[in-house]
Amino acid sequence: MGGTNRLFETRLSRRTMFAGAAAGAAAAGALALTAGSASAQRCAGPPPPRVKGPLVWLDMDQQDLDDAYDQSVYAWNQPNIAERTRANSEAALKIIGKPERVAYGPSEFEKLDIYRTKRANAPVNIFVHGGAWRAGRSGGARAHLALPLVKAGAHFVGLDFIDVDAAGGSLFPMIEQIRRAVAWVHKNAASFGGDPNALYLTGHSSGGHLGGCVVITDWAREGLPLDILKGALLGSGMYDLKAPRLSKRGNYVHFTDEMEQELSAQRHLDRLHTPLILTHGTLETPEFQRQTRDFYAAVKAAGKPVELRVGQGYNHYETQETLANPYGFMGSALLDLMKLSAA
Amino acid sequence: MTTTDTALAREAERKGTPRVKGPRVWLDLDQRELDDAYDQSKYAANRAQIQERRLLSSELARARLGEPMRLAYGASEIEQLDVYRTKRANAPINVYVHGGAWRNGGAAEFAFLAEVFVNAGAHCVILDFINIDAASGNLMMMARQVRSAVAWVYKNAARFGGDPSRLYVSGHSSGGHLGGCVATTDWRRDFGLPADLVKGALLCSGMYDLKPVRLSARSNYVKFTDEIEQELSAIRHLDRLNCPLALGYGTYETPEFQRQTRDFHAAVAAAGKPAKLLVGEGYNHFEMLETLANPYGLLGRAALELMELDRN
Repeated sequence: MGGTNRLFETRLSRRTMFAGAAAGAAAAGALALTAGSASAQRCAGPPPPRVKGPLVWLDMDQQDLDDAYDQSVYAWNQPNIAERTRANSEAALKIIGKPERVAYGPSEFEKLDIYRTKRANAPVNIFVHGGAWRAGRSGGARAHLALPLVKAGAHFVGLDFIDVDAAGGSLFPMIEQIRRAVAWVHKNAASFGGDPNALYLTGHSSGGHLGGCVVITDWAREGLPLDILKGALLGSGMYDLKAPRLSKRGNYVHFTDEMEQELSAQRHLDRLHTPLILTHGTLETPEFQRQTRDFYAAVKAAGKPVELRVGQGYNHYETQETLANPYGFMGSALLDLMKLSAA
Repeated sequence: MTTTDTALAREAERKGTPRVKGPRVWLDLDQRELDDAYDQSKYAANRAQIQERRLLSSELARARLGEPMRLAYGASEIEQLDVYRTKRANAPINVYVHGGAWRNGGAAEFAFLAEVFVNAGAHCVILDFINIDAASGNLMMMARQVRSAVAWVYKNAARFGGDPSRLYVSGHSSGGHLGGCVATTDWRRDFGLPADLVKGALLCSGMYDLKPVRLSARSNYVKFTDEIEQELSAIRHLDRLNCPLALGYGTYETPEFQRQTRDFHAAVAAAGKPAKLLVGEGYNHFEMLETLANPYGLLGRAALELMELDRN
């Protein structure tokens, strides 16, 4: 295992697919650097060399930081994964059928999809999608994530909510809507055969960030139980917004001091009453690995229940794919969290 | 071209000099294109990462399932197999033939595939067999071992609680090729066993006609002969095919690995035999196999369906 870890750290922790492949090619003279074609995809070339500018965050200059908050720089196969997601979601829909679509709030965005399991009074997983806070209102492309859970005896509730562009650059409306959705599920779980005392939450990427904000909600103020969520699986998220604010994400998120403070989950651990499993992949950007590592260390230091699971050899998008597999890295974590076994 | 010439040509191309296409050697491919089309690393940049995932997933799967039964099916050291047993009595059996360009791989690193079968109520048997280099380039020797392993499993299924009348085969990559050879074995003539010994085969990203493979750089390490090309091209022996097939490939595989499966599927269908085509949208060669380790993935679903273990 030691050797394996070292291999990942040295060879795979930077923009590696390109750099690593190019180094190998230079040594072996054996890599075709042709661009993709319609029928098959070829390996791409390395990034050009660059002079490093002044440091703006840890050991990063502005471009390093911008890149560390841009998944496409590190996850070269994002378009391929988007294709798989569409195809796999369609295939899953044919198996479990269309979800029930319900409004949980007054705006056009506030809808959720309920994929029902057959079991009565079953636990419920609430899924908060990612997409750099921008993509989303994602509708159907998550049935493949629901399928293993529905088969294992839990309901899957996929949330739709406003995106940051429609919200005029503010993250607050997003988190307000998601909190409203969780409260709605708690109040209405029985209506779809769900157990309101067995609610769980999963979030990935910016959905991991939003999920982090949900678990530090002051539920008592809403007249709801502090432990409304019995567990949360947060994958590849952001738990302190200072660094994202310094990055080019500040171009479309209009960060304020209040927003940075309020929506950095790591700064509100006194309000955390939900056991967590935190995950990231070893091929994610340095910042997306660090965010999870730091959040894990802070929660642990606060003496609250938390587990860290690291996906060896997975990039940002690939980690979420494993949620669609009950034996996968994130899929098995969710079943463990919900005390279910693979069906 | 010599290796140095090839390296220089590629370096020139990397610097932006367009490459002049050479004479065609197979379909519309010149030598370099054909060589590349039988070299997964040219099309699957993340091979090393997926290999790491496979090793780690296999470790985790063995921790959950327990160590497999290790049984010998032949006289030589390598002729052994791993059995991951299900709890059900007299259960169906999946025999997995691993890939690795005929050169690499071993049963232990494919343990991650077993859990789907075991938890669905089937035994998963993963074969070890000689690699092409140890066999001095003789592919016939590999095919013979794999076929004899399947025959052994049929005859000895009771030893691990398996039902020999429900024996299925799966394979990926060069294991897809070898699985194709298994599915077109003349069991009666060669082993004195029933012709329909294999009840179904899931073959993914394999090779079913060896002619273009023989023309490619793979012949540097496989000592192809006319007899090997003929005997071990499953597409040429469809009269001996007695089981339904599920055939898969990913849309990001090399052009030849996509074509091989498409052509094989078309030929089997034209012969009036049952074959299902599974196209993995957005998957490359190695990513395809990962979907077999998921009961809800493209290949996992197809395997359980083929074995009538589908509980959907």
